[in-house]
Amino acid sequence: MAAAAMAAVNSQAQWVQYPTAGIPRTPDGKPNLSAPALRTRDGKPDLSGIWDVLHNRPCPPEGCTDMWIPQEFLNIGWSLKGGLPYQPWAAAMVKQRMKENRIGDPNSRCLPTGIVRMYTTPLYRKFIQTPGLLVILNEREATYRQIFTDGRPLPADPQPSWVGYSTGKWDGDTLVVQTSGFRDDLWLDANGSPLTESAKITERIRRVNFGKLEIEITVDDPKAYTSPWTVKLTQLLKADTDLLDYYCIENEKDGPHLVK
Amino acid sequence: MLGRIILAMVLLAAGPASAQWFHIPTPGIPRTPDGKPNLTAPTPRGPDGKPLLNGIWQMNGKYLQNIASDLKPGDVPYQPWAEQLFQARQNGALGRTDPAARCIPGMPKLDALPYPFKIIETPGMVMMLFEGFTTFRQIFTDGRELPKDPNPTWFGYSVGKWEGDDWVVNTIGIKESTWLDNAGRPHSDALHLTERFHRRDFGHMDILLTIDDPKAYTKPWTVKEDVRLIPDTELLEYVCNENNKDYDHLVGK
Repeated sequence: MAAAAMAAVNSQAQWVQYPTAGIPRTPDGKPNLSAPALRTRDGKPDLSGIWDVLHNRPCPPEGCTDMWIPQEFLNIGWSLKGGLPYQPWAAAMVKQRMKENRIGDPNSRCLPTGIVRMYTTPLYRKFIQTPGLLVILNEREATYRQIFTDGRPLPADPQPSWVGYSTGKWDGDTLVVQTSGFRDDLWLDANGSPLTESAKITERIRRVNFGKLEIEITVDDPKAYTSPWTVKLTQLLKADTDLLDYYCIENEKDGPHLVK
Repeated sequence: MLGRIILAMVLLAAGPASAQWFHIPTPGIPRTPDGKPNLTAPTPRGPDGKPLLNGIWQMNGKYLQNIASDLKPGDVPYQPWAEQLFQARQNGALGRTDPAARCIPGMPKLDALPYPFKIIETPGMVMMLFEGFTTFRQIFTDGRELPKDPNPTWFGYSVGKWEGDDWVVNTIGIKESTWLDNAGRPHSDALHLTERFHRRDFGHMDILLTIDDPKAYTKPWTVKEDVRLIPDTELLEYVCNENNKDYDHLVGK
């Protein structure tokens, strides 16, 4: 939060207001966010750009904070009628986690968010589409994620990890990303919806137009959920700026003060 | 401190590697008749004739411990305060004040980490993805100027351009709390880093690092670091603060 506040003050002198080259613009020079998506040399949509969450959660009466979270940050199943299809143990665990003020949330300890929460964190992400590899650079903790589009298969017996192992292939104009190889103890949202090592996640990423990305996420995790479920997230382009480095851990004072 | 983390990570990495992308053939690598990567093949070049820097590389680990390890005693032109601080940091006396102890190495230590890093050249920007701390640098090659009055960041602001066969990266705006190496060499907010990437052949690259920081050093000084290509593999995930046990045992402020 401090980083965002500071950025506002000092931004003039930096690259957070640097014009993005080669983007469609309206006659007055503003980015034309409703222009068609650009395409790479191979004719595929270019997903490159800096992306922000869709702010779909009203601000409290006292006003928005500078970490203005979307609904899905709290509850990834917010848009689903009836909510997420938890297995009984998972439902009980989510209830317990909320009762305990989410004290065990890895996010509160500055640990990696995992691939779903990365999209719901109100900091920016930069997609860079290169031949054979889509890279996502994250402001949060200045980390990255690699999605291989070079045709390699997913690893058969992966070492469990926070971000998993991701491969992508095109289905028409939609990039379909498959990810597996997760740790057994991940959180998908602040409510504590679990993700286990049995999970496979499919992301269908489509650039609706120059300014908008739609990401349909299907979570297939039979250990934690009774059936696969799908939610759609929207990401909005931020033009004429760049990432700042944001370290949760830089001056982290909360940890010892968190209580159940 | 970092040495211990490094050792632990190396040991962990050695175990489960075979089932993963740890052993995946890199396409387009020149190979000897027996299929092994030919690391002494000529430097690959792009359509513009410039050397290509893409690939997974690994820095000689000694520079993280001591960035001046190839220099003679007396070769580092300290300002008096910088030498005093360097001396005060000896033997881990102020280890807790190194941001890397809290999992933020920053620049220029990031470059010296002995884990693999990946260079990806894209139009207008070159990415460096580091296995260590799962972090990255962006080096802009779109012709932009360095910012005039930057808000200091952990990585600073970097632009790169070609000078002959060398790719030259200039960086300013680095937070003054970062250390140049584990030995504890300091810098000030005036630090201007120049990295000169010179790919000698397919498998070997030199990085000439010039430290120009008139507040901390009486004149610019340069070290030559050597980097080797690590073919047929991929970066692993590294989460420093996942189980960081060192910090509480470090001393200093």
